[in-house]
Amino acid sequence: MDERRKGATIGTESPKIEELLQEGQGGRELEEMEKSPSREAVSTARPALSPRPEVDPSRCPTSYKENSPQEKLLLAVAENFHAQYSHLYPERKPLLLCPLNECGVPKFVSTTLRPTLLPYPELYSWEGCASFVSDFLSLEPLDAPIDPPKQLSSPTWVLQTRRGNCFDFSTLLCSLLLGAGYDAYCVSGYAVKEMCLLNQSHHECPLLLNEKKEKTEEQNSPVKKYSVKPPKDLCSGFERMQESKQQAQAQAIILQRQQEMERLEMEKERPSPDPLLGLWVHSWVLVLSGSREVAENFFIDPLTGKSFPTVEDCFVGVESIWNHRNYWVNMQDCRFGCSEMSYDLGDITRWEYLLFDPWGNPALPVSNVKASADLVDGDEDKEDNEEPPVFEMPPSWVKRIQISEQDMEMRYPGGMKVIQYRKARLEKFAPYLLNDGLVTRLTTYKDVNCIQPITMKEWFQHRQDYLQERQLTKADNVTMELFRPGRSYSLKSHRYVTLVPETEREMEFYSHARADGLAKRVELPTEMTETFEQRTDFLYHRHVVFSRLSETSDQGQRSIEKVVERFHRNQAKPASEDTAERVFLISEGRIQVTYHSEDDRIIPAWLSFVKPHDSQKQPFTSDMVSMFQVDPFEKPKKNLLLYEMLMSLMKEEEKVMLRVMDSEKEVRAILALREQEERKIKLHISIYNTARNEKARTHREMKARLAKEEQVRREQKELDYLAPFLAKLGDPETLTRQEALQLRSDCLTDLKQRLIDKANLIQACFEKETQELQLKQQWYQKNQLSMSKEDEATYLAYCSDAMFRIHVLKLRLSRHKDKAPQKYLALEEKLRRDPRLAAHLC
Amino acid sequence: MSSVYDTVEPSVVDEEMLQKAVEEQGPQGQAGRIARDEGVQYHEVCQLCLDYRNILKIDHLWQFTSLTKLQLDNNIIEKIEGLERLTNLVWLDLSFNKIEVIEGLDTLVKLEDLSLYHNRISIIENMDSLQKLHVLSLGNNLLRDLDNVVYLRKFKNLRTLNLAGNPLCKESNYKVFIAAHFPELVYLDFRILDKQTREEALSKYQVVINDMRKEDLLELKALDVKRRDEEELQLHKDAFVEFLNGPYLFESMYADDTEAVKLAYLPGFSLTLLLTFQSQMVALCMQVFEMGLEQHHRRKAEVSCFFECSLEAVRENQQKATELVAAFESCRREMQQTTDPKLLEAQQKQHLDETCQLRDKLMILELQLVDQLEEIIKDFERNITDMVGGFIESVQGIYPFITTCRDLENNHNERLQEIAVAALDKAAANELEEDMPEGEQLPFFDKDTVMNAVSASHDIHLLKIDKREDELVTRINSWMTVLMKSIQDAEGKRNRKRISEIHHYIDYVKTQLDEVTLHRTL
Repeated sequence: MDERRKGATIGTESPKIEELLQEGQGGRELEEMEKSPSREAVSTARPALSPRPEVDPSRCPTSYKENSPQEKLLLAVAENFHAQYSHLYPERKPLLLCPLNECGVPKFVSTTLRPTLLPYPELYSWEGCASFVSDFLSLEPLDAPIDPPKQLSSPTWVLQTRRGNCFDFSTLLCSLLLGAGYDAYCVSGYAVKEMCLLNQSHHECPLLLNEKKEKTEEQNSPVKKYSVKPPKDLCSGFERMQESKQQAQAQAIILQRQQEMERLEMEKERPSPDPLLGLWVHSWVLVLSGSREVAENFFIDPLTGKSFPTVEDCFVGVESIWNHRNYWVNMQDCRFGCSEMSYDLGDITRWEYLLFDPWGNPALPVSNVKASADLVDGDEDKEDNEEPPVFEMPPSWVKRIQISEQDMEMRYPGGMKVIQYRKARLEKFAPYLLNDGLVTRLTTYKDVNCIQPITMKEWFQHRQDYLQERQLTKADNVTMELFRPGRSYSLKSHRYVTLVPETEREMEFYSHARADGLAKRVELPTEMTETFEQRTDFLYHRHVVFSRLSETSDQGQRSIEKVVERFHRNQAKPASEDTAERVFLISEGRIQVTYHSEDDRIIPAWLSFVKPHDSQKQPFTSDMVSMFQVDPFEKPKKNLLLYEMLMSLMKEEEKVMLRVMDSEKEVRAILALREQEERKIKLHISIYNTARNEKARTHREMKARLAKEEQVRREQKELDYLAPFLAKLGDPETLTRQEALQLRSDCLTDLKQRLIDKANLIQACFEKETQELQLKQQWYQKNQLSMSKEDEATYLAYCSDAMFRIHVLKLRLSRHKDKAPQKYLALEEKLRRDPRLAAHLC
Repeated sequence: MSSVYDTVEPSVVDEEMLQKAVEEQGPQGQAGRIARDEGVQYHEVCQLCLDYRNILKIDHLWQFTSLTKLQLDNNIIEKIEGLERLTNLVWLDLSFNKIEVIEGLDTLVKLEDLSLYHNRISIIENMDSLQKLHVLSLGNNLLRDLDNVVYLRKFKNLRTLNLAGNPLCKESNYKVFIAAHFPELVYLDFRILDKQTREEALSKYQVVINDMRKEDLLELKALDVKRRDEEELQLHKDAFVEFLNGPYLFESMYADDTEAVKLAYLPGFSLTLLLTFQSQMVALCMQVFEMGLEQHHRRKAEVSCFFECSLEAVRENQQKATELVAAFESCRREMQQTTDPKLLEAQQKQHLDETCQLRDKLMILELQLVDQLEEIIKDFERNITDMVGGFIESVQGIYPFITTCRDLENNHNERLQEIAVAALDKAAANELEEDMPEGEQLPFFDKDTVMNAVSASHDIHLLKIDKREDELVTRINSWMTVLMKSIQDAEGKRNRKRISEIHHYIDYVKTQLDEVTLHRTL
């Protein structure tokens, strides 16, 4: 197609460079230049990791230890490319092209990528892959933080050792992303120090950021055409102005002070200026838009698993990028970070490719390539029209990436991981690792040094008491627990200081799961407020005040002073008969009832009763009731009605008191249960979790064993050569000696007969063929003279055919003769060993 | 046995009997005492039982208007009567009487439970209005005809039916027949209708059931269609353009026009002329119709927006006032609890002030609301007047409906005239007489008659068009006036009600206060 096909030899470069390269100087000079920044300054505090495990070369497949011819060619190409590159751009750092793998063999970086799609649903999206890689491996800093590494291990080795540098991270992540269908690239470049060393202590914790975002959501209702104007404001504008001025001043002072404080704090937090800014070598992953519905290019930092827009300023520069098909060198200026970079890999003024690959990059229109290539050296094309075959990237030398289910579940190295954020510390654990089911713990601190904790938030999994989340605020020592649905009493959340009853607490319930529709119960030492939802009697609020007297000693029942119950409007009743509020002033012996106010009224009707001391004897008089009726023209209520109301209210009062006592009992029961559960935490194991569920596992194993036994039995039965003879004898349980011998001889004779029959059959066939041939030959000799050429040809063909058949039969016969005694002996031997006959035969 | 009953003297429903029954069946104990002191009004009684009293004629029950349950069993009643005013009845027991005909139940639309057990009824009838009927007992009667029972199918809520002891029960397929015709029935003759019977019924009466279902479905559909048509017509009427979406106007123009028929026989009068005229008219009508609907939607949106906003304003105002009152009321109640005399006195003074303040505040709020509402009502009136005016204008003149109609009619008329003149000329030349039918020759004797006929037809057409226009204009105007008046009235009413409410409350508080003071001084 065009001259670029010989890209393997980098046709773009002028012969001059090659001459220079032959002198063998350019490369070396460059190398020396690169060594300049002092190593000592870089080797800062590094977490102490256990020594690297040694590679056992004998266990590595051959592709790890050797290079195939294609790979060798590729290496040569890469070397050539690098030599030219370093000559053309002596000021740039050497490229990472062919680092050694764990077996010490140089391998081209693109072949180290092994696109793999693993059978875990979470690894099907880039978010899942990124967080998996960041969780699964632990970071080993680069030997020289300003140079690309000399060694790049295979993803399989990295997964096995569960450690690696940022290049190992991004190679693994890129392999997974390519396998999942993303247009992903490994990037070798420069980033800020924090990113290279995985230091997140200047970042806000992502979990905390989410919470903040949720809080800021508001809605504005649109203004309607006939909305009334607000009433005229008759205050003096001047006065208000003055006042607001004063307030603004005061606020400004406060604000200033605050800002000052913040500034100071910021300054304290700000890291000392980095002398090596822009030199820290880092590797990350670039995902281009186009495939898997990715709308915009973005970066993924494999160390944190977070995504960044490509303009993010923590990525300082890009040296080169590669995927499993090709390798591109960035030709753009990175002096001002990556914000101006273009990722159009077809643009050769911006990206210099290593291999010409017309199909490799679908984003690149072919005609475009042609045009650009034509521009470069069109004349060469005319000279040699024979097109050399395109050099394609050899397949990856890495074995298939595999991750076991156990590793997947354990996820973090050693099952746990700790991340330090700004004023926060995040601890992650594998499920079932800890006995209390803890999977995540987030501790937030007041200060940057993380000494004074503010809150501690814990997430749990698989708890049998359905506990999901617990938050402990250090300042007031309040614990907040959240539960999944399914607990007794449908408890949803519990906020408390201590688990002692009759103290301050707040409980929420899954109201739809409760018969009484209770949604929330707030308790103070002498008060209790209950909120209900969707009750058929429209009750939504009950407030109970207990007496302050500390008479709690007698059976733990507090005496009730006052109960307030509120109801929603029941549209089926007229407003003046629909109770809105009932107040039982138990200690005062009074009951107050307030009705709902009608739709266009502002004042509700109410009734107030004084309870008779003895309802049986004391006569009902009208001064026991006081009332207000909204409508002055309405007839006053009849005494009979009032009396009946009083009676029913008194009955209600008793019921309400019982209900309050039930509530208290319930609280006590819940608290006792919680205490018991916390003392003995149990984890729930699903029956589908075959690794953990003992019962399920034994069941499964037993099933497998039974199945195997069954299979073995069936096989034996199928191969039982004694079966037909036994059947002849009527399948006796045990055999007598006589019978056994009989059986044996029967069996053997049968075989002998069969062998003889077979031999005879072959012999008969043989004889028949020979006879026919002879007949034919005779016929030929007779008619030889009067035969046409065609007939003669058919005769010859027949002869050769027949000869062949005869030969085959002869061979078969001789082999049968050889084999027959062996077979006979083998059966005899088998019969001797047979457990049923053995007893009688030896 | 009947002789025993016959000897008993029938009693009459009189004051004494009723009073006694009410007292006996009313509240007992303390409540009864109170009730007696106060006196019981008949129209407040909810339940009444008049059994075993040998009543012959139901009478004097008209006062018990709120009665929900009435028992008249075990009497010798012969005719159902005097129950017309007891419209709240839910439960009526007329068992063990001598009733022969079901009647006089038409007004008891709330009835759910009716017992006519052990009577002499032979036909089920006259119960069409008892749509809520749930339980019906017709046992021990003289019902013979099984097909008569199908009458009860119209009660969609019927779940319990008792027919035991009737001659029709002896029929072999009685149970299955009932089960087939009443798929919703749960209890029959004191027993639950079991699955087996139902299945049997289903297999036996499959055809009948299917037919019934089909009929029901058809009926339902017809009802639906009718309802939809009505709704559509109502919508068109509301938009004041009913019967303009088709050739109705055109047809009405020619309905009363006797001359047109005659003119049609004029020589040279082609049908196409009429047809083009018609299609032009219909197109115009459709235009107006569509515009009318669109305008109607706009008006509707405007009106609903106005009501929404005014309601919102009132609600908001109410909310504020309610809060004020609630705060004040809780304060007042607290004050009532204080017993310390000195403190009380001071508080009372303060309270009086607060009461006045509250009144002022409430009044100010109300005045504010009145102002606000007045403003938006004015706005609304202006807008709606504009809209209506615009609509009328576009219908009348600018938008070429009536004018064009008239133009069209005039055009048509001119053409007719031309044709008529031509025909007359021909007539004069005596060329016509051969092809004209005998009867129709008459009008063409002279020019005047023909021209008169043409102009008469023209006049009738114009009259129709004008009438339609007038109707539209008057109706839309009256609609607007009524709407505005109703809004004004409602606002006035609301205002008055609120003010009286405030006054009432303040008065009440003040009297309470005075009472307390009086109490103290005493």
